Amino acid sequence: MNAIEVKNVTKVYPAIKGYKELLLHPFQRKGTTALRGIDLEVRPGQCFCLMGPNGAGKTTLIKILSTLVLPDEGKAFIKGHDLEKETDEVKKHIGFALAEERSFYWRLTGLQNLDFFAALNNIPLSKRRKKIQEVIDLVGLEKAAGRRFNTYSTGMRQMMAIARALLTDPDILFVDEPTRSLDPVAAQNIRTFLRKEMVENHGKTVFWATHDLSEAAEFAHTIAIIAEGQIKAEGSVRSLTGQGSFPLKEVYEKAVKEPAPESKAFGN
Amino acid sequence: MKRLSKNRPLRAKLLGIDVMSVLMQKLFAFLKRDFLEEASYKYSFIASFFGIFLSSATFFFISKLISPNSSSVLAPYGGDYFSFVIIGIAFSGLLAIFQERLPAIIRQAQVTGTLEAILVSRTSIPVILFGSSLYYFLYSIASTVFHLILAVVVFGMQVEKINWLGAVLTFLLTALCFLSIGILSACFILVYKKGNPFSWIYGSVSGLLGGVFFPIKVLPVWIKWISYILPITYSLEGLRKSIIVTSPFSEILPNIIALSVFTVVFFPLSIYLFRLALKKAKKDGTLTHY
Repeated sequence: MNAIEVKNVTKVYPAIKGYKELLLHPFQRKGTTALRGIDLEVRPGQCFCLMGPNGAGKTTLIKILSTLVLPDEGKAFIKGHDLEKETDEVKKHIGFALAEERSFYWRLTGLQNLDFFAALNNIPLSKRRKKIQEVIDLVGLEKAAGRRFNTYSTGMRQMMAIARALLTDPDILFVDEPTRSLDPVAAQNIRTFLRKEMVENHGKTVFWATHDLSEAAEFAHTIAIIAEGQIKAEGSVRSLTGQGSFPLKEVYEKAVKEPAPESKAFGN
Repeated sequence: MKRLSKNRPLRAKLLGIDVMSVLMQKLFAFLKRDFLEEASYKYSFIASFFGIFLSSATFFFISKLISPNSSSVLAPYGGDYFSFVIIGIAFSGLLAIFQERLPAIIRQAQVTGTLEAILVSRTSIPVILFGSSLYYFLYSIASTVFHLILAVVVFGMQVEKINWLGAVLTFLLTALCFLSIGILSACFILVYKKGNPFSWIYGSVSGLLGGVFFPIKVLPVWIKWISYILPITYSLEGLRKSIIVTSPFSEILPNIIALSVFTVVFFPLSIYLFRLALKKAKKDGTLTHY
């Protein structure tokens, strides 16, 4: 069974109308298409990178798969469970490391934040302390856990978001541009953690949205290039690059029809 | 390298003990979160209690203008204006807390992104709403009690014998009813973000026509009917009868029945509308829009 299955998913966001438009055409529905008939399959234990420029639809797809946005058309399944009909079941299998660092309570410590979210995820009090300690050790924030969240660096906040997503020990981890705004060392730590620790050591499926080419090339089993709400190319790095006969950058630029962004991976 | 231990899925036992325990732990988590957040703003905490002292003092001196037993409309409430108004302002604060705090919490969570983090967790909508209001509910009880203690100890308000059954039932129904109104306000905030009409229309109308500052008997007949469709009218009437004049339960009962009707209609309706509002926000992709 696939870890993630997306079938013909389309998402159109309603456009914000001006006062004049609202008065003249109050019932007219206009919108911005974020996703157009997306089809995807992600096997368990894979590191899957969704790559594309800003506004391509990466975050929309991740939010749909995390039950935070509803698709307009199509179906999506997490371990065979329908996202819309079996939301509670789906939530048991997923963890979402939100890109938004403000998704924590800044005046609370890291531990207090994790304690709150652990309770919301049905982790009983008797097991909570152990579980929190476990994820904190795993992401290497032992020394900072007792400090207020507002004293954390961007990299630590990102790690804390991953720790929160791991509280329920999910099979599938969604990460939305986890290395955005990080210095090269912190970014490399997160990449290594996701690929080595999560995928290779713990056998988790990681669904990773990025616009960093080298990041995807180095760490993904499978890459999907998304642009204008459509999957333009999909496969392993080797298959996408014709067994290495042309660079991934070329594939990306051909699919997206715009220059590839400068890679931040490895400090390039 | 440490390995993650697998959580066993929650199994509800026949008596539902596990479910209850998890529910209580979730509610406690919300309570703890809000307490820690609020307590981190120490001066605001102290200032709010100082504000209660100032408003009580203001009404104490205003009440000096009205001689006890000089007004026939105050006679059913023992004739003392200070006792009358202190119940009004102490308990209308409860309405303000639910009506303003809950939408504010939702708005803040929406803007910061904590709403998404909460919604992706395994917690149901009613628990999120109830949990988010719990601290403010307890806080409002504390501030109401503080209001009353201050009125009795410092300003000499007369309280002879409280009808506890009437007071507690009226208070609980009032809280549920006001929570429902708070949730309706939150629905509006979830979809339209700002400009919540519930807050100012309902808040102002309740303040003016709900019997907070004066008995509704003084209102002209053509407007009095609005008072009778406001839950706060029955809340304050029931509480005044329970606390100031110690009426028998049978006299408080009509207010309890009216509040029960409001609660039975508004509470499920507000939860249903919140689900719809949430669905719309998920559909429009605006859960975290500013």
